[in-house]
Amino acid sequence: MTRTAVLICPGRGTYNKAELGYLHRHHADKGALLAEFDAQRAAAGQEEVTSLDGATRFSVSKYSRGDVASPLIYASALADARSLAEDIEVVAVTGNSMGWYIALAAAGALSAADGFTVVNTMGTLMQEQLIGGQLVYPFAGADWRNDPQRKAELLALVAEISGRAGHDLALSIDLGGMLVLAGNEAGLAAFEAAVPVVAERFPMRLANHAAFHTPLQEPVAAEGRRRLAAEMFRQPDVPLIDGRGQIWWPDASDTARLWDYTLGHQVVAPYDFTRAVQTAAREFAPDLFIITGPGTTLGGAVGQSLVQLGWQGLIDKDAFQARQTANPLLAAMGDPAQRALVTA
Amino acid sequence: MDRAQIVHQNFLDRVKSGQLPPGRDPAGPLEAAEGVATYRAQVLSRALDLTSRAMQKAGEGFYTIGSSGHEGMAAVARALRPTDMAFLHYRDAAFQIARADQVPGQQITWDMLLSFACSAEDPTSGGRHKVLGSKALMIPPQTSTIASHLPKAVGAAYSIGAARRHRPEHQLLPDDAIVMCSFGDASANHSTAQGAINTAGWTSVQSTPLPLLFVCEDNGIGISVKTPKGWIEASMAGRPGIKYFKADGLDIYDAYRVAQEAAEYVRTRRKPAFLHLRTVRLYGHAGADVPTTYLSKAEVEADEANDPLLHSVRLLGQAGALTPDAALKIYNDTRARVERVRGEAVTRPHLKTADDVAASLIPPKRACAASNGPSAEARAAVFGSDLRAMEEPQPMSRLINWALTDLMLEHGEIVMMGEDVGRKGGVYGVSQKLQQRFGPDRVIDTLLDEQSILGLAIGMGHNGFVPIPEIQFLAYLHNAEDQLRGEAATLPFFSNGQFANPMVVRIAGLGYQKGFGGHFHNDNSLAVLRDIPGLVIACPSDGAEAAMMLRECVRLAREEQRVVVFVEPIALYPMRDLHAAKDGGWMRNYPAPDQRIALGEVGVHGDGSDLAIVTYGNGRYLSTQAQADLAEQGVKARIIDLRWLAPLPTEALLAATEGCKHVLIVDECRITGSQSEALMALFAEQGKVPAARIAASDCFIATGPAYGATLPSKDSIAEAALTLVKGAS
Repeated sequence: MTRTAVLICPGRGTYNKAELGYLHRHHADKGALLAEFDAQRAAAGQEEVTSLDGATRFSVSKYSRGDVASPLIYASALADARSLAEDIEVVAVTGNSMGWYIALAAAGALSAADGFTVVNTMGTLMQEQLIGGQLVYPFAGADWRNDPQRKAELLALVAEISGRAGHDLALSIDLGGMLVLAGNEAGLAAFEAAVPVVAERFPMRLANHAAFHTPLQEPVAAEGRRRLAAEMFRQPDVPLIDGRGQIWWPDASDTARLWDYTLGHQVVAPYDFTRAVQTAAREFAPDLFIITGPGTTLGGAVGQSLVQLGWQGLIDKDAFQARQTANPLLAAMGDPAQRALVTA
Repeated sequence: MDRAQIVHQNFLDRVKSGQLPPGRDPAGPLEAAEGVATYRAQVLSRALDLTSRAMQKAGEGFYTIGSSGHEGMAAVARALRPTDMAFLHYRDAAFQIARADQVPGQQITWDMLLSFACSAEDPTSGGRHKVLGSKALMIPPQTSTIASHLPKAVGAAYSIGAARRHRPEHQLLPDDAIVMCSFGDASANHSTAQGAINTAGWTSVQSTPLPLLFVCEDNGIGISVKTPKGWIEASMAGRPGIKYFKADGLDIYDAYRVAQEAAEYVRTRRKPAFLHLRTVRLYGHAGADVPTTYLSKAEVEADEANDPLLHSVRLLGQAGALTPDAALKIYNDTRARVERVRGEAVTRPHLKTADDVAASLIPPKRACAASNGPSAEARAAVFGSDLRAMEEPQPMSRLINWALTDLMLEHGEIVMMGEDVGRKGGVYGVSQKLQQRFGPDRVIDTLLDEQSILGLAIGMGHNGFVPIPEIQFLAYLHNAEDQLRGEAATLPFFSNGQFANPMVVRIAGLGYQKGFGGHFHNDNSLAVLRDIPGLVIACPSDGAEAAMMLRECVRLAREEQRVVVFVEPIALYPMRDLHAAKDGGWMRNYPAPDQRIALGEVGVHGDGSDLAIVTYGNGRYLSTQAQADLAEQGVKARIIDLRWLAPLPTEALLAATEGCKHVLIVDECRITGSQSEALMALFAEQGKVPAARIAASDCFIATGPAYGATLPSKDSIAEAALTLVKGAS
């Protein structure tokens, strides 16, 4: 009997020191795929992906760069997507933020090589321009229960700060029980000064991240549209859920609009990862939510998104963790034990 | 075997074997991906039909009227914009599903299954009813079973042009939107539908913009009664002012092409069109209906052979958009997906208590921009010489007229409509000069059809207007009453408060017109309104109170989105005197525009404690006369004017009768079903004060000298009062 699954591709910030060597550890069998990526990097005069992955030393300043992190995460995630056990039927694919580009490739709406081109181009553009930054801050409690009022208060604060002269601040990603905010230095600093520290680490700046998914990225979007042809985009092989919760169905998608969304709205408007996960649950009701590697940090946001729905009786973090112990609903491939559940 | 299973098996077998029904080749502007998207919507609609039946058998679902055979409506949806308001036929799941594909972030499978399960989380009605509808998709929910949604579709279409000229604060529809309403071939015969279609033509031939698309889904049968062959085309193809289009709803290419042409015509010409769409009905009217009990097996099988999904598989294959194998995979995948989602949706909570169910009877309040009211200059310009007349006491008809003038001056979204309200100024002159003051598009002379008048109001209410429709006489309400009962009052209930159609219906009524009209102009029963949940009924008894209550009614509609009926006692319109000729005792000064009488506030006149006379309307006038006679006989009475007949102001009423030895209820309406029944019950349950009543006979009102014979009079009130007081002493 097959297990139905929604595949979730992670975004930036998931390839860290622990992930160094990920491709070598898990995907030595995918030499042809990786060679294709390496060739693109070499042609652009950039360090090869396998070389980056095979390095002996990890430095945050280097590996958090868009032109380094993006291709590494893409290669790791796409290779993971191609490593699932045979009894798993992927009924839909989604992703978080940059994970959208990976989702496009994992769903077949871009070839692996074209997906790499898109990711590498956008990652490089973002690094070149590096407009603004991001921070993350929770609105849900430590028990993961939803707190819409707190969320509304924080968004009102964001709106108030962005109205100040010289301040740019906007919602970047709806990320389960957390908000990812983006803006310029003045906007981010004003927010940091206005809110209490939570769990000793929030508000947390994300190193080398730009103000993704905000109007500040208009120049990046424009350049991306100039460099990346709509012809690369094709019908997905499996349903694809975007950062608005919209489903792109196989054979039924307008590929010109898919290109337009990917290099337009998706780049300059908030990315609603929560809605994407919730649409995946409600429209596909899978047996499993599989988060590809690298990293495991997206699991919390997926769990929080499901807790907000009370999905299958998961009303808080404890209930979610109990479920994970008894009969896992979520498998993060970056976690060796959970990876074993979904790989051959 | 269940016909639904037969149709399902037929689909699987025929697609596998390539035995697809013959038909025209695909032609028209539907592109490959759009064609597949349309087919996907059709398949999801079909899968939901099948699952809904399984849910009912399992005790998990409560609705089985399906859309099978009507899935061509998916193509119609794609030909429209998601901002085009759609009032849907109950077989239009495929339309809603296809439209959901046009608005990012929808969860249509989940939403539809929640509605089958009547879950409290159903985003349409909150678990109150299985209705198609969605705020995000601009689909106001209603039952649509008897096409009673067509008059409001006319009203909503009219509102689009009206909103260009007078912007309502809460405008919902874009200027270039059109309105669509759909219905079956059987309900097209309903007088309500015929009235709406007639009104659309009547409006169109006068070149008034009316961007409205009627879609008749002709499956040839209404439950068990066949529609005569060719009937819809014969009766609809030649309607004046309405362009007729015909399409094959079994063919998504044809349906899309023609629907697009029809929509384009309506959008650019701002004129109504009638799209006649051929469909079939598969597996009977509803789950419990067995079509072979009234149709021959051959007839049933002929329709089943024309399953629109089979036609779509053929057409998409011929167009090179989708192979039959891929089409079959979509069908099977969708069935499996719907079953998985069903397993989750049925676990969601249901409504439990009466309070849960009633929570959306009254719509939520909405924020309205504050206003200081019109300037003195603006008022002077509008009122003209009437300003000087305001210094003197006036009869009720003039004070209502002035109140309407002030209200329309202050709120540009108020629109009046009715028979003779404009040029003539109303049969009793209540709306005199309003058309000159505010223009014919805000004071609309309608055709003679009360369903259309109320439909116009309901539809305009959907688009942010505050309509004040007039029903010329209370007896004329009855042919149109369902527009209030079945449509206006139910909209917040069915939509969980997401849609509302605020309005103040003015109705001239009640008895005591001396020698005029008899029953049809002196109807004296409000029973038909009293039991409608959520409805507010106001009935003033003098001119000043009428003005202040009307202001409150407009506030209730405008700010609280309520449906209010304002019953104006015709006999009091011109009333000047109270006790003697030329005493001017019933004329009043015009109250300042900021003065209101709040909902639930009763009027108390006098402080006598021997007797409280509880009454309203003409009853207060007559009781005031009787009060003087009673005083002469040593009975000290107070009069309590209810003012608000629904909801009954019970708390204020009981407080006002506190300390009184007796209560006499004076009710000018017929004794059966009238407010006096509720009042007697109230005082009986209270058990503190003995109550008696005097009400009109259960008889229609006569013309001529006996006009008042069946009604309470000053003398009969005094007599009943004395009997009560003395009999008890």
